Amino acid sequence: MTSELKTEHITINMGPQHPSTHGVIRFVIKTDGEIIHECDPDVGYLHRGIEKIAESVTWQGFVPFTDRVDYVASMNANWAYCLAVEKMLGTEVPERAEYIRVIAGELNRISSHLVAIGAADMDMGAITPFVQFLREREYINDLLEMICGARLTYNYYSIGGVNYDIPEGYSKKVTGFLDHFEVAVEQMHRLVTYNQIFINRFANVGAVSPEMAMDYNFVGPNLRGSGVKYDVRRNKPYSIYDKLDFEIPIGTASVGTLGDCYDRYFVRVEEIRESVKILRQCLQQIPAGEIQGKVKNAIKPPVGHKYVRTETPRGDTGYFIYSDGKTSPSRLKIRTGSFTGMSIIPELARNIFIADLVAIIGSLDIVAPELDR
Amino acid sequence: MNLLTDTLGMTELWANVVIMLIVCTIVFAVFALMSGITSWAERRIAGRMQSRYGCNRVGPFGILQFVADAVKLILKEDLIPDGADRFLYKITPYLCLMGVLATLVVLPLGSRAMIVADLNVGVLYFISITSIVVIGILMAGWSSNNKWSLLGGMRSAAQIVSYEIPVAMALLTPILIAGSLSMGDLLDSQGWLPWEWAAFQTPFSALAFFVFFIGSLAEGNRTPFDLPEAESELVSGFNTEYSGFRFAVFFMAEYGNVFLIGLSTTALFLGGPNLPGFLQGNPFLSVAVMMLKTFFVMFVVIWLRWTLPRFRIDQLMDLSWKYLLPCALIAFFGQSVFMLVAHEIPAITPITAIVVFIVFLLTMVKFFGRIRTNYKEQSIPVGLN
Amino acid sequence: MNAYFNNIKNGIQTVFEGMSISLASFFVHPVTIQYPEDDISSAENLKKTYKGQLGPMPENYRGILDVDLSICTACQLCVKACPIDCIVIDAVKCDKSKVQGTKAEKPAVKTRTCTRFDIHMGKCMFCGLCTLACPTGAIAHTKVFEMNKFQLQDLVLPFVSEDEKEKAIKRDSELKAEAAAAKAAKAAKEAEKTEEEK
Repeated sequence: MTSELKTEHITINMGPQHPSTHGVIRFVIKTDGEIIHECDPDVGYLHRGIEKIAESVTWQGFVPFTDRVDYVASMNANWAYCLAVEKMLGTEVPERAEYIRVIAGELNRISSHLVAIGAADMDMGAITPFVQFLREREYINDLLEMICGARLTYNYYSIGGVNYDIPEGYSKKVTGFLDHFEVAVEQMHRLVTYNQIFINRFANVGAVSPEMAMDYNFVGPNLRGSGVKYDVRRNKPYSIYDKLDFEIPIGTASVGTLGDCYDRYFVRVEEIRESVKILRQCLQQIPAGEIQGKVKNAIKPPVGHKYVRTETPRGDTGYFIYSDGKTSPSRLKIRTGSFTGMSIIPELARNIFIADLVAIIGSLDIVAPELDR
Repeated sequence: MNLLTDTLGMTELWANVVIMLIVCTIVFAVFALMSGITSWAERRIAGRMQSRYGCNRVGPFGILQFVADAVKLILKEDLIPDGADRFLYKITPYLCLMGVLATLVVLPLGSRAMIVADLNVGVLYFISITSIVVIGILMAGWSSNNKWSLLGGMRSAAQIVSYEIPVAMALLTPILIAGSLSMGDLLDSQGWLPWEWAAFQTPFSALAFFVFFIGSLAEGNRTPFDLPEAESELVSGFNTEYSGFRFAVFFMAEYGNVFLIGLSTTALFLGGPNLPGFLQGNPFLSVAVMMLKTFFVMFVVIWLRWTLPRFRIDQLMDLSWKYLLPCALIAFFGQSVFMLVAHEIPAITPITAIVVFIVFLLTMVKFFGRIRTNYKEQSIPVGLN
Repeated sequence: MNAYFNNIKNGIQTVFEGMSISLASFFVHPVTIQYPEDDISSAENLKKTYKGQLGPMPENYRGILDVDLSICTACQLCVKACPIDCIVIDAVKCDKSKVQGTKAEKPAVKTRTCTRFDIHMGKCMFCGLCTLACPTGAIAHTKVFEMNKFQLQDLVLPFVSEDEKEKAIKRDSELKAEAAAAKAAKAAKEAEKTEEEK
């Protein structure tokens, strides 16, 4: 006569307040101690109704709100919105403004990837690299503060160009910073990215095959980490990206399986190096000229709708604008990369450790404000 | 002793008890002070490794920070969570502290005369009494009525129990060299020169030294083995629900454990308080030498915490059973074979010791070269001003 | 078997490399600015302490707003540009004059003056859209960032003082009276002219 021991799964709440989820996100986890059986994310704790706010402010006045959609990479978020409105109006942006836009956007991309990498490291227990990456990010904050006066929510782009011109001697300061940065960040990678303990934590965990990545609508570094070579800057170029020379890094299963956490993490590491290359090219090629195109004071785009995509650090951000010919948008929808990244977590979180769940969330680079706008 | 029996007319038993109480109070005071200073040192060193200052507001260089922390924790509200097992919840912190304190009785704070109780099975007592901490952590996890604490407690119990075995096996090597289990004999069997320390006697004892050091880190729940109190996963693990003075006791036990790792490694492997012949017998110098070596080992423990990411629970178990235990067994077996050979050829002992020490020195030279290169790379100026 | 030894070798190598990097960081000068003691707006001071590593506060830093009413023409472009409606302006007529602001090359014509210019700093998000819209540069950001107050109502900054407001209202009523008188005189003259023609 055999009697089976009756076991139950305990339901744990990795609640909205938790040191490891990047922002206020809630996961309801059913586990039997260490192995997770089911994971159910609960989003919406940071919903601020930004898309609804857009219907009551002017087209120009909405730009500071796009800063707050993703405050880690706010220059690129500004750029996405301004590009969408410019495409509707048909304005032409002067070339100097395009170059300044690319410089600011790439500096912000480096800064956002430093936060993403650092947060993933901190979740693994290595706190020193996080602080060192933040030290490098402070220099970028200082550089961006010189051109627009703010450190986090820049409101630098306007419809038709940029708001302020770059100051004297800026190019020299940026090149000085890049000379220091390239060497220092390599050192940080020797500390953590090539560390065997870290590789053991990240390799073979949360593997997403290329087909699965495309089914779940992944974008950005998450998609490229699974081996799919797609980047909006190459496949659907906007601004002056077709004149610049840079590579698109993809995941190559260097340690572990294709599309695991380490691949996604390493794609971000490589993208930082590519951004440094782009910055150096831009600083050499920047022409003189105006910084603002010809735009009326009260913008009234023609009736219609448009969907424009740009490559922000978190993926492919799309702005869908519907205009009724008035001074405010009639409907504005923002599609962000974090939201699609979140959708795969219930699928990946079967039969893994809780520690692995933390690694997966860290490698997908989910920021809560972008998740629920 | 004579003072008490003759002048105060106490019986010998009571005089012993009084002396023991006084000595234990002194040791407890030293322990509490060192645990506070370790927490201060950890915060300062962590700060400097992260390009920032550590705590530097309270007192000169922030040295009174641990006093401020203690005062704050005592003034907090005494909270017992709803549904917690009240009796277990209350006695657990003291159980953990007791497990750590009781080991101090056999460890030398200075020379051989400064061991509180020089048992002739000192090392055995040392290994076994640290296991009380496991019970304390399990009780802490269970009695908090919190699923995250329970997970932390279970993980920690599994970790500490499985790392006791390589530690105990690694300890067999200095016991072989000394020939006895008594702590005083272990101190006497080592000399004051670096190649007379137990760590550098043979390659096998060097291996045992590393196994013991890594195992002690795991016993003390320090990174890279701090999964039970992983901040990013379990919100501080088994001591999530403890606040106020109970948390202060856990805190003291953890940082005191770091001090203990330093003391035990120094005493067993790094030559302890041994001084050259002409300086022997000087109590202050022996305490100074012991403390200097202990601080160095504590610095390495803190340094490792702020460098390495942490292991996952199954990788931790793999490390213990598949890597450390075979290494400890190889060290023990190799050391016994070596000692048989050395019995025939006595000249081989100092030669091997010097060879091992020279290999260690060369590694250190290469290491310092890397430090210099890395420092130069980090010092490239940015020039934003 | 190979993987086992490879694991050990890689582990030890990367641990030692990591430890050397940490210890190298230990000797680098900290980059923290000890805020109340160090003066962060002074570039000279930062250059001495931090040796050109950290940038000083730039001149175009977007701190708290300040209004220079002598060059304000009460055009209310800033009110329209603000996305949060934190600026409130009441304007009355005043004597015509020319004001030379900091932004435009030609002087602007001022026909109206403000009796009320309130900015609610609690709502303001320091985006700078009002400063971009202002034609003369009357409203501008300063470098001040310490603006705490004890009450929420104190965060509403009034830029027009009480006696300026009274003077403006008085002048406005005088101008209205003069305009009415001039209109009455013109109407009377018209009536006389038509009577003469008749």
